[in-house]
Amino acid sequence: MASNISGNAYALTILSPIKNSFTDDEVSYADTVRDRLQSWNSEPNSPMALVPQTYLCRYFVLDDVYTESLPGASAIDTLIDLLPFVPDSLRRCYWPKEDHLNSSYLVFSCNFHCGPNADLDGYLRNMWNTISDKIKEVWGFCHGFDGVDNADKFIDYMKKCQFEATLFFVGSNDDPLEEQLKALYLKQEFSKFAVSNQGLDTATLRANFKGFIQRVAPANLTAPTWTAGGYRIDKLVKRG
Amino acid sequence: MSNIAGKAYAMNVITPIRSYLTWVNKLIFWAAVKVPGVLTGLVTLSLIHYARWVIIPKDKFPHLDPSQPKENLNYNYMLFFSNFNGSWDQYVDSFTFAIPGGLDLFWKWNIRYSKSVALTPFHDYIRYNQLETIHYYNAYPLAASNDVKSAKTVKSSLIQFEKDTQTVSDEEFLKLYNGLLRGLQHDLGDMYPTPIVTMSAYQVERRQKWHEGKLAEAGENHGK
Amino acid sequence: MTKKLDLLDIQGNVIRAYGRFGYPVARYVCLNVRDGAKGREFVGSISKKVTTAVEWGDGPGKMKQPDWTINISFTYQGLKDLGVPTSSLIGFSPEFVSGMKARRDILGDDGPSSPQHWDPIWQRNRETRENDVHILVSINALAGQGLDWLKTAEKNRDQAYKWFQGEVDKTKGGVVILDGHLGDNGEQFKYQDAKIVLDNGKPTSKEHFGYTDGISDPVFEGVPYDENRVKGRGKQIPGGKWAPLATGEFLLGHVDEAMEYPPSPEPVLLSRNGTYMVYRKLHENVATFDRYLEEQGSKFPGGKELLAAKFVGRWRDNGAPLVKAPDAESKAKYDAQFAAADEQGKDDLLSDFTYDDDMSGGKCPFSSHIRRINPRASLEMIHEEAGFTPLGAFLSLFLPPSWLGMFKKAGDKPGSLKVSKGAFNTPGALSDRRRLLRRGLPYGEVKDRTRDDGNHGIIIMMVNADINRQFEFVQQQWINYGNDFKAGNDKEIILGNHSLDDKFPSKAVLQVDPNSDQAPFLLSDIPRLVETRGGEYFFIPSITALHMIARGVVDPT
Repeated sequence: MASNISGNAYALTILSPIKNSFTDDEVSYADTVRDRLQSWNSEPNSPMALVPQTYLCRYFVLDDVYTESLPGASAIDTLIDLLPFVPDSLRRCYWPKEDHLNSSYLVFSCNFHCGPNADLDGYLRNMWNTISDKIKEVWGFCHGFDGVDNADKFIDYMKKCQFEATLFFVGSNDDPLEEQLKALYLKQEFSKFAVSNQGLDTATLRANFKGFIQRVAPANLTAPTWTAGGYRIDKLVKRG
Repeated sequence: MSNIAGKAYAMNVITPIRSYLTWVNKLIFWAAVKVPGVLTGLVTLSLIHYARWVIIPKDKFPHLDPSQPKENLNYNYMLFFSNFNGSWDQYVDSFTFAIPGGLDLFWKWNIRYSKSVALTPFHDYIRYNQLETIHYYNAYPLAASNDVKSAKTVKSSLIQFEKDTQTVSDEEFLKLYNGLLRGLQHDLGDMYPTPIVTMSAYQVERRQKWHEGKLAEAGENHGK
Repeated sequence: MTKKLDLLDIQGNVIRAYGRFGYPVARYVCLNVRDGAKGREFVGSISKKVTTAVEWGDGPGKMKQPDWTINISFTYQGLKDLGVPTSSLIGFSPEFVSGMKARRDILGDDGPSSPQHWDPIWQRNRETRENDVHILVSINALAGQGLDWLKTAEKNRDQAYKWFQGEVDKTKGGVVILDGHLGDNGEQFKYQDAKIVLDNGKPTSKEHFGYTDGISDPVFEGVPYDENRVKGRGKQIPGGKWAPLATGEFLLGHVDEAMEYPPSPEPVLLSRNGTYMVYRKLHENVATFDRYLEEQGSKFPGGKELLAAKFVGRWRDNGAPLVKAPDAESKAKYDAQFAAADEQGKDDLLSDFTYDDDMSGGKCPFSSHIRRINPRASLEMIHEEAGFTPLGAFLSLFLPPSWLGMFKKAGDKPGSLKVSKGAFNTPGALSDRRRLLRRGLPYGEVKDRTRDDGNHGIIIMMVNADINRQFEFVQQQWINYGNDFKAGNDKEIILGNHSLDDKFPSKAVLQVDPNSDQAPFLLSDIPRLVETRGGEYFFIPSITALHMIARGVVDPT
C-alpha cells in the first residue's frame, strides 16, 4: 500500500457500511451516527486530539453517490458538433447511468505521522487505547463491528474497511506531531522575541536571547509547546 | 456539520469514473508524483496541508456481513479529500485561476466533468459532488500550511544559531543574529485565529464562544 | 478585433475616476423611496441627465465635457421598492442582497470600525424601512480656470444640487433625502461632501496621510481613452508585458477572465453594462498615523520618509514606486528622470513596473498597501530548499542517491523568494480576478493634526462585477490577513483592522535584500490607522436598465 504513504506521513481512508436500521425513536442508524459525530463538535476539544500523531482527520456519512449530468461535456457531444448526422438517440444512450448505494457508509479520513516503518497498526492501537468509547459510539452502528472489543480486532476491522490512495500529496511536512507543534510554538515565541528585542544593544540582546532559549527549550518536545488541537491563544501553550 | 477547523477546510468530493478509464487516471497520478514539475503549481499555491485521491472500484465497497446488501454500481468512484487553507471560494477559485490544466488532467476522466474553465459550471460540479464533513479535527487550528512549513525553518535555524554563537564575540553575534532574522523574514508571521469565512450565524457565535472558552454555554448538547 | 464598449449605455463613474478628469469636488446623496410610482418617475427624470461614459472633446461621437456629472445607483431594498420583480431580484448576488452591514464579520469591520461607530445614516440603514438607503446619487463638479478654480467647482456643484433637489421636491414626499452624514462638528448633513486635499490652496492628488492616491486603477478592454495606460494597470502576461483585463471583471454582460459572463440578474437588459459598487466612508486617524510614523521612523535605518514609503510601496511626495526607487539615492535619480519626462513618460514611471526583481520584498514589503491590494504577478513565488534537480529527482527513482551528486542543487538563499516559473496558467493568475476600479475622493479637512477625531478621511467607491470574489476577498484575505503573502495573520499596514486587544498585537515585517547584511525591520503594535464609518453595496445600472426601472417594465419572463 505504498501510495498511502508519503515519507513519514500516512493517508488512512476508511469506509464502514452502516446498518440499514433505526433506533427506537425512529431515527435511522446513519442519522444517529451523524448526530453522535455532531455532538463531538460541542466538546471542549475533539476526541481525536487524544490520539497521538493525528495531524488532521474528518468523519462524515456517505449516504449516496451523485451523478452530475451536465450536457455538452461528453465525447459524443463533440462528435455531434463535428458530424452533421449523429442521431439524438445515440447521444441519449450515452447519457450517464444513475447509480445508488445500498448502504450508507461512515467515512473516516485521517492524516497522521506513521514514522519510517509506516506503522498503521501502532496508530490504530493507540486510537483504540485512547478513545475506544468514542469509537464504539459511532462504529457500533456499522456492519461487522459486533464483537470488536479489543485493539487487535479493531485493527483487523479497520483494515477490512480501508482503501488505498492513488495519490497522496503532502503540502506541509511529515514530521512527528510533537515536532510540528514545538516548531509552531517556537515560531510564535521567536516572532515576539524579535519584535521586543529590536534595536537593543548587543550585550543585552545576547543575554535576553540566552534567557529566551532557556525558557523555550527548543530541543524539549514535551514542554513548553502547543497543545494538540488548541484554539485559544491564551490556552495554547503547554508548560512543563 | 463542520467543514472548517481553524484555518483548515475539509473538502470531500465524490465523482463517478468509467471503470475502463480508471487505469489512465491511476497512471496520471503515478506520473504526477514521479515526474518532477507536475506538482509545481500545487506547491507554489501552498494552500494544502494534505490531500489525497482514492479510487473505489464499483465491486470493492466493503461487504462485511451477510445481512448487508451488496452494492450494484455502474461506475467506479473517485474520492478526493483535501485539507486546505482559506474559504471554499478562495480555494476553488485559486485552483482554477492558477492551475486549470492540472485540475483537468486529474478529473477529466470523470463522467461529465465540466472542465475547470469557465468557473461557474466548475463551481456547480464541485458543489453537487461535495460531501459535507460532520466532525473535523485539526491538530493546529491556528496554523496554515505555510505556518507549519515556516515553523520548521524557524526551529532548525534557531537551533543552528544557538550552536554557532556559543563562543563568538558580541560583534559576530550581532552579525549572525541579523542573518538569522534575514533568513527568517518570510517565516515570522503571527498565528492568530483565521478571519471568519462562514456567514452561518451559528458558526460565528460558536467560534466566538470557543475563543472565549465558553463553548459549554453555547447551549447545544444533543446526541447524548 | 478590438472590443469597443457602448459608452453611451454605461454610466460615466464606472469608466472614469472623475477626479483625474478635472472634477475636484463631489457630493453624495442617499435617498429613501416612500412611494414606488413616484420613485420610478424620479428615477426617470434623473436618468435624463445621467452622465454616460461617452468620449469628451470635439469630433464625431464625442461630447463637450460637462460642468457637472450625475450618477445613480441602487441598493437591493431600493430596487425592490421601485418595483423590480422578484424573479429579477433573486439573480443579484447574496452579498449585495445582505448589504455591507451584514457582511461586517467577513470585512473585519470590528472594534472602532463596527457599525455602532458608523455615521447615523449608515447605522440606521437596514433597520427600518423608512431609514433604508435606497438610492445613491453622486454629483461631481468641474473646476474652473485660474485662481477661482475651486469656487467655480463649488458653484457647479451647487447648481447641480439645486437641480437635483428640485427633482426630489417634485415627488412631493415620494422620495426623500436621508440625513445623517456626520460633519465637522458632529452635525448631521443631508449629503456627504468630498473634495481633493489642498496644499496651501493648491490642488493635490493626495489623501490626508500625504500619499498620492489612485495611480494604479485597472485598465480593461473596450475603453478607448485608456489605451496608453495599460502598462502596470492591466494584467501581467509572460515576458513582463501587459494586456487590458477582460471587460467582464468590471461590467456585467461581458465576458470575464474565465471566459464566461459574470453571474447577473435577469433579464440581460437589466444587467448588461451595469455593475456593482462598494461605497465606504473611511476615517483616517491622522494624529495616530503621524505619531506612529515619527516613533518608528526614528528607529528605522532608512529614516522617516523611507518608512512612510514602506507602508504603502510608494514615496509620499510624488508617488514614486519603491520597486523603481528603493532608497534615497535611486529616488534622486528617479526624481530627475520624472522631472524630465513628458506626460506619458511620467505615467509609465509611476505605473509600469513588476515585482519580478523584488520577489523577496527587499524593496517593496509584502505588507505594504500597493503590494497587498494588487500583487501583480508576485504571488507566483517559491522558496526552494536544497535537493535534487528535476533530472536528478527522476534518476533517483532508479539509482542510489550517492551516484547523483552532480544532480543536486543548493537551496535558495535563506529569506529569499523567486518566481516559480510556469507554475501558474498566467503569471498574474492569482491577481487578475481580484481587481477593483477605485473611485471617490477625500472628505473633510485636517484642522488639527494632533487629533484623530476630526472629520477627515476618504470616500472610496470600488467597482467590480463580483463583490464577493473581488472586493470582499481583497478586504478579507489580503488586507486583514496575510497567508497568501507568507505573512501569517500580519495585516496590510495602512488599511488593516489592527487589533487593540493586546492578545493580538499587530506587526509587519519590512523585508530586506536577502543578499545584504541587514536585518528586516519589524513594525510592532501597529495601531488602527483607518476606521470604517459606514457604507453599502450598490448596483449601478446601465442607461437602458435605468429607463426600464423608471418605466417599471423590468420583466424576465
